[in-house]
Amino acid sequence: MTSRLGVVAGVAGLIVIALAGAAAPWLAPTGPYTPDLGARLGAPGGAHLLGQDTLGRDVLARVLYGTRISLGVATAAVGLSLAAGTVLGCVAGYAGGWVDEALTRVIDVLLAFPGLLLAIALAAVRGPSLPNVVLALSVLGWTGYARLARAAVMSLREREFVAAARALGARPVRIVARHLLPLAGPVLLVQATFGMAGAMVAEGSLSFLGVGAPPPLPSWGAMIDEGRPFLLVAPHLVVFPGLALALAVLALQLLGDGLRDLLDVRLDGAGRMTPS
Amino acid sequence: MGTLPGRRLVLLLPTVLGVVTLVFAFLHLLPGDPVEIMLGDWAAPADAVALRRDLGLDRPLAAQYVRFVGHAARGDFGQSIAFRAPVARVIADRYPATVELAIAALLLAVGGAVPLGVLAAVWRGRALDRIVRLASLAGVCLPSFWLGPVLMFAFAMRLDWLPVSGRGGLAHLVLPAATLALGMGGILVRLTRASVLAALGEDYVRTARAKGAPRWRAVGVHALRNALVPVVTVLGLQAGALLAGAVITETIFAWPGIGRLVVQAIQARDYPLVQGCVLVIGVTYVAINTAADVLVRAIDPRLAEPA
Amino acid sequence: MAPPPGGLVVAFDSDPRSLDPRFQTDANGARLGDLLHVALTRADPTGRRVPELARSWTMEDRRTVVFHLRPDFRFADGTAVTAADVKATYDAVRDPALASPKRTALAALSVIDTPDATTVVMHLTDASASFLDATGLGILPAARAREADDVTTGAGPFRLVSVVRGDRLVLAPNPYYPDGPPRLDPLVIRIVPDETVRVLELRRGGIHLLEDAPEPEMVTWLAAAPTLVVRRAPGTSFVYLALNLRDPRLADRRVREAIALAVDRDGLVRYVLGGAARPATGLLAPEHWAYAPAPARRHDPRRARRLLARAGYPSRGRGTPRFRLVYKTSAQPLRRRLAEAVQADLANVGIAVDVRVYEWGTLYADVRSGNFEMASLAWVGVTDPDLYYLAFHSTMVPPAGYNRGAYVSRVTDRLTSAGRRTFDPLERRTIYARVQRRLAHDVPIVPLWWEDRIAVHTRRLRGFEPSPSGDLRSLATARLD
Repeated sequence: MTSRLGVVAGVAGLIVIALAGAAAPWLAPTGPYTPDLGARLGAPGGAHLLGQDTLGRDVLARVLYGTRISLGVATAAVGLSLAAGTVLGCVAGYAGGWVDEALTRVIDVLLAFPGLLLAIALAAVRGPSLPNVVLALSVLGWTGYARLARAAVMSLREREFVAAARALGARPVRIVARHLLPLAGPVLLVQATFGMAGAMVAEGSLSFLGVGAPPPLPSWGAMIDEGRPFLLVAPHLVVFPGLALALAVLALQLLGDGLRDLLDVRLDGAGRMTPS
Repeated sequence: MGTLPGRRLVLLLPTVLGVVTLVFAFLHLLPGDPVEIMLGDWAAPADAVALRRDLGLDRPLAAQYVRFVGHAARGDFGQSIAFRAPVARVIADRYPATVELAIAALLLAVGGAVPLGVLAAVWRGRALDRIVRLASLAGVCLPSFWLGPVLMFAFAMRLDWLPVSGRGGLAHLVLPAATLALGMGGILVRLTRASVLAALGEDYVRTARAKGAPRWRAVGVHALRNALVPVVTVLGLQAGALLAGAVITETIFAWPGIGRLVVQAIQARDYPLVQGCVLVIGVTYVAINTAADVLVRAIDPRLAEPA
Repeated sequence: MAPPPGGLVVAFDSDPRSLDPRFQTDANGARLGDLLHVALTRADPTGRRVPELARSWTMEDRRTVVFHLRPDFRFADGTAVTAADVKATYDAVRDPALASPKRTALAALSVIDTPDATTVVMHLTDASASFLDATGLGILPAARAREADDVTTGAGPFRLVSVVRGDRLVLAPNPYYPDGPPRLDPLVIRIVPDETVRVLELRRGGIHLLEDAPEPEMVTWLAAAPTLVVRRAPGTSFVYLALNLRDPRLADRRVREAIALAVDRDGLVRYVLGGAARPATGLLAPEHWAYAPAPARRHDPRRARRLLARAGYPSRGRGTPRFRLVYKTSAQPLRRRLAEAVQADLANVGIAVDVRVYEWGTLYADVRSGNFEMASLAWVGVTDPDLYYLAFHSTMVPPAGYNRGAYVSRVTDRLTSAGRRTFDPLERRTIYARVQRRLAHDVPIVPLWWEDRIAVHTRRLRGFEPSPSGDLRSLATARLD
């Protein structure tokens, strides 16, 4: 597959998924929270295309509304991480010295810290909630962007055009924002695309472990967790939310691969954020 | 070169201490009292006070912290509150299971991914390449908390080929290791393929071939050696992700490892046990990365020179 | 792994915390402790105390109980169980230095005398009608009663052979058990946290007995297997919604009654629990000696809406709730599902519910400190009706007792105080019947149901009887064909 095709396929997939989430009220046969106790674990087909869950709620409706949670959490987490990471990385890269040393140490500690535990602990304190998920993912997610931004700024810091700007009396903030950051843009964009995919999986993982979306929110991870005891008699509870998540991640992965090749970016990591 | 790992180890001490401090701080910010959770409904306040004193939980936080670090430095992690046993013993009971699972997953991922990645790179654009790339994409996209139940459903429930769960012989290891390995394997295949492709384009490989080295030798010795550097580095970085994966995999397959243990320990507010677990996990992560570093330098001696 | 021949494999969902009767507080610990240890008395399914180590007992006066021991019980190491062991165990638990969670239960005890090897005399500081409830304490050998570490040597039908934490416990018959050593050898307890796995292993024969009921659909699936048999018995675990009466809205009886009427208890029991529970009218199950029938509240959303309007919360049209309540629950799947169902039921009468899921430690801390509006909780192992005093007397707000919702009623106070000072069973019964009627009217909590006990086991297992409290005692006399 060529990179251009990958980008097109990825963007198209994302648009479809976003539209499905936006149009959920019109596409879904019932609300995502409408119980029908008598029709518990109803099989797929008929009025309920993807079947019914443990309280008889429509699985299609829940998968569609789940899109909003998955995309929303991922966007928020990546946005926060990207902003924080870029700022910190630029500061460290430009300032150098002990500032840089301190940031590197903090990143080392965070990388060695089992981040999943942070999410579990947050959920223990405040009860599981989506803001907690975003917070937990961002507290650990910013390090990747910080490293990329820092490396980019450091490699460009000594170039002539920077020296020229400095000689003209430009302040560091302006130099970084006007001259250095735009050059680091592509690498951050590619990392953010993979980061979105990672954040979606991470949100699902946390909800699966019961420390993500609180009930009755139809997070895909939570739906899989809920359906697991019924795998033998109602596999549709596990299969469909999993497929939805896999498709969303696939779209982002294709987009990321394509962008990386088109923009000729090299990442040092694997381009995947996990809740660790 | 010999002193470098040693120096790195010294540099890692602050990292480990940082992790320990972080854990200690956030644990004590959690609401809920281990003593009340342990004693349950049927306890009097006086007993709770006595037990809290017994466990040293009534002292100032700073004193508790100093005591914990001091004891930990001597290898004494204290007494687990929930299990009523030394933390070291509780962890020693569970840690091998996680190590076993992680090593199996690692072998599976590396053993499958590197050859596939090399073959895909060598036969770039052919059918095998396409299949491998598609499969690796699937590996990256399928979340483990979905893959685990689905593998269990297919191979243990429907086909009845493998045990459903628990720790036992080799057969018990297959499904959890595969679940844990697939995501990592997908990443490694893509990485190996990309690095081999890049290396094949490098001058020295082209030179080697021009000098008459056979194709397999050019790929096997020169390209692969170079390609392994990023693979090993990423493996080290993925060690952290492995733990998150282990919590999920251990939960799905009822694997008695440290991932599930630490979750239980947090829920019971078993401070000493959580601290011990996180310390062990942090040290493991640091050790793996140091090992990966040493390995990278061994593969590519040029990197041994300090920059 | 193939189960050992002649051995039985039982699945537990989690590790028992302690098998030492001095420290054991969790349900799984109690189920196993029951097999390893003997106590002076035990509770029968109706909540009455029946003989075990004590063959009989007499009340000399209101403050003196004399126990006559059976001479034929022996610990697993062969030494006889004597009055000295009983005294040593009770004294150890009462020693503050040991910090035993059971100490409070023995607060009424002052001195223990042992005139001979088979007689124990307990002197109480105060007359207490519920004292015998505390004599379910497992007895340890006197020489080991004060050890700080867990002691598992007991005189029960089984002895502990080995423990692999998080994986399995192996028990073997106590050869000295006076009623004949058990025939199950070994008895293996496997720790299998995942329900799907427990169900599958049971179906395949890797597990022989499952006592934690799986989801109803899985019970049906298991029942279809020719090698398995599903056993049902009514249970005594009481599930309810706790309400915090400190909240001005919930202080109004009409609001509480409206909530009780809005929850479709019968629908939940029928469909979500697969019929495996009895809709409850109150704390005590019908088989309990002090149970008094109270009229059940049927699902009636229309009446609930009328009550809410009368209480000053008029309907505000579709989409706009009358008011919002926070509902706290543990993360257990069934409880989470219950929360979602209650949320939908209350939305139907115009009350918006925000569900907050906490793991047990946090939920427990919040409930104890009164930091909740609604919460789903359960009472497990209720034996003496004095619990009505501990849970509903106005002085029993935590940390003194379990009146978490801060319910205050002069009538209930008077009755529950009288109940704990009355020794005549008939008289006590009359008192607690009035307590139950009062609570049914005041609705300080919303009773939901008593959970059934469901056990699924291989047909080869003979002589096992599921018990209402979930104990495994009948394994002492069961066998595997």
